[in-house]
Amino acid sequence: MTGNDENHCGLLKRLLESSRVSVEINKKGFHREAVTTVELSPDVLSGVRVLLVHRWPRGVYLDPYQLASLSDESDWRILLDSAIDLELPAHKTSGFVTYVYPTVDGPTPRLLKVTIPVHGRYHEPSYDGKTFTSVDIEAPELLLRTEKCTQLSIFEPHAVVDTPCTADNSSTCSWVKLQHQQVPLGASSPSSPVTFLGTSSPSSAHEHTRASC
Amino acid sequence: MERLITRLTAKYVIFTAAFAIRLALVAYGDYQDRTMVVKYTDIDYHVFTDAARFITEGESPYNRSTYRYTPLLAWMLTPNIHLSMMFGKILFIVCDVMSGLLIYRILRLRGLNSETARRVCALWLLNPLPMGVSSRGNAESILAALVLGTLLCMEARHLIWAAVLYGLSVHMKIYPITYALPIALALRTTRSEDIKRWRWRSFIGFTGSFLNRELFLFASVAGGVFCMLTALFFYMYGWEFLHETYLYHLTRRDIRHNFSPYFYMLYLTADSRWSQWLGLAAFLPQLILLLVASWAFHSDLPFCCFLHTAVFVSFNKVCTSQYFLWYLCLLPLIIPHLSLSVKQGVGLLILWFTGQGIWLGPAYFLEFEGYNTFLLIWLAGLLFLIINSFILIQIVTHYKPTRTPQRLKFE
Repeated sequence: MTGNDENHCGLLKRLLESSRVSVEINKKGFHREAVTTVELSPDVLSGVRVLLVHRWPRGVYLDPYQLASLSDESDWRILLDSAIDLELPAHKTSGFVTYVYPTVDGPTPRLLKVTIPVHGRYHEPSYDGKTFTSVDIEAPELLLRTEKCTQLSIFEPHAVVDTPCTADNSSTCSWVKLQHQQVPLGASSPSSPVTFLGTSSPSSAHEHTRASC
Repeated sequence: MERLITRLTAKYVIFTAAFAIRLALVAYGDYQDRTMVVKYTDIDYHVFTDAARFITEGESPYNRSTYRYTPLLAWMLTPNIHLSMMFGKILFIVCDVMSGLLIYRILRLRGLNSETARRVCALWLLNPLPMGVSSRGNAESILAALVLGTLLCMEARHLIWAAVLYGLSVHMKIYPITYALPIALALRTTRSEDIKRWRWRSFIGFTGSFLNRELFLFASVAGGVFCMLTALFFYMYGWEFLHETYLYHLTRRDIRHNFSPYFYMLYLTADSRWSQWLGLAAFLPQLILLLVASWAFHSDLPFCCFLHTAVFVSFNKVCTSQYFLWYLCLLPLIIPHLSLSVKQGVGLLILWFTGQGIWLGPAYFLEFEGYNTFLLIWLAGLLFLIINSFILIQIVTHYKPTRTPQRLKFE
């Protein structure tokens, strides 16, 4: 048994060293899609579970009801860390964290793609003539776990974190976090951080507009 | 062509056809929801259903965020959970067709013959806008039926029923409260003297004319129904009920883009000290216009109510296309009395749609392409307001008051 454990731990270590995660923001305007791609390499380990932790900035929000109906049609589940107010402007909210559990119903494939619809919030109007503002979305943290390897301390410098095992938040497990973001080679797609163009309005040109309303 | 129209608008054909088309749309909507990415059903319908689900579990419907309506609606839709998701939509299309029937009865009471009345009804029954709205699952048709029912009972002088329906409609949505003024003016004891000069006596006489049996009866029944429902739901759901159903709508400051040009002012001043005062000040144009309209036209209640709602919606701080139905359901009642030619009428209609189209352009580019078109959206909103005002002025100047032979009989 110990031999097998060591084997699994060794494979997990290799996964941590060469797996990659990246995020791409598609579409334009206030309604976008964050497509997260995970490439497990060199080979997928049987029994390994993946968890994606997105830390979202205050400039965006996810619609929990839209996510719930999407969950019905897809194989990933999502857990939000706090209630989301859909209507507040950005400067009146704070960022939030989501936990995405891909392929809950089957084994983890080598290549994973999860698409999450993201919506931009209205931002504070500007008084210095700026007409756009950027919202930075970082690539998510990739967390891995397998039942068959329990000595997670050997994976230094990759941190060990305790996070819910599944999206129903009924129990907590220990996961190993991929320590650094991998930048894909080649010029095909941007990785992290990704700028998402929000909008705010120029106010200096509208000072008199405000008064006349 | 003439014979085709006559055949189509034969009495039972038109109502049956209207119901059948709506039913077909509901069925199609179900198909589209199941097979395509873009859903037919409106998000509001899911909000209602989720709230109804909370009720069946013994909880408050306000656990569903963005549910900002009376609990009565969620209670009415509990069969969505017990029977079928389609129940609510069927209810809404039934109310929609019933609104058409009420329009027909009011037109007949106002002296139109059956043939013309049915043709005018077709403007509502075969109109794609209410068809689409009801089949998508919006509850506007319930309110349309209640308001039209109130007007019908007022025309037929069944005051108690009118008061009950009126109290119910104000409970469901706040805007019918504006009808209180023309109703009060219509029910007071009318005198034949003209008030040529203001004297204390004529002022006292004026206020005294409000104190009559009919107005008192109406006010107490309507007020009683409203207070009873409010007390009941307050007892069941507490402050959250009052806040979500009424206070939210009164203090609502939607900074996101909508047809109202006020949105931009509210967005830019959202954090300033003056935002509360600006919000209140925005009520003034509405209030003044409503007072003037009530005084000038209270003798013709359907026309006055139409003007009230059109003014209220056009000058409101928030304006979305759902609100248009509130006065469109009253439009068939006044069309027979407009001296506009068909060409002029169609011209005004095209102008109205063009105003919306001009707004939708920059709004699309802002929301879905990410361009900064705030200024353009605001200008388009102003233009739409100007267009609405122009159309209302045209309607008012071309309106011929009804001769009401029925009313003469009561006097």
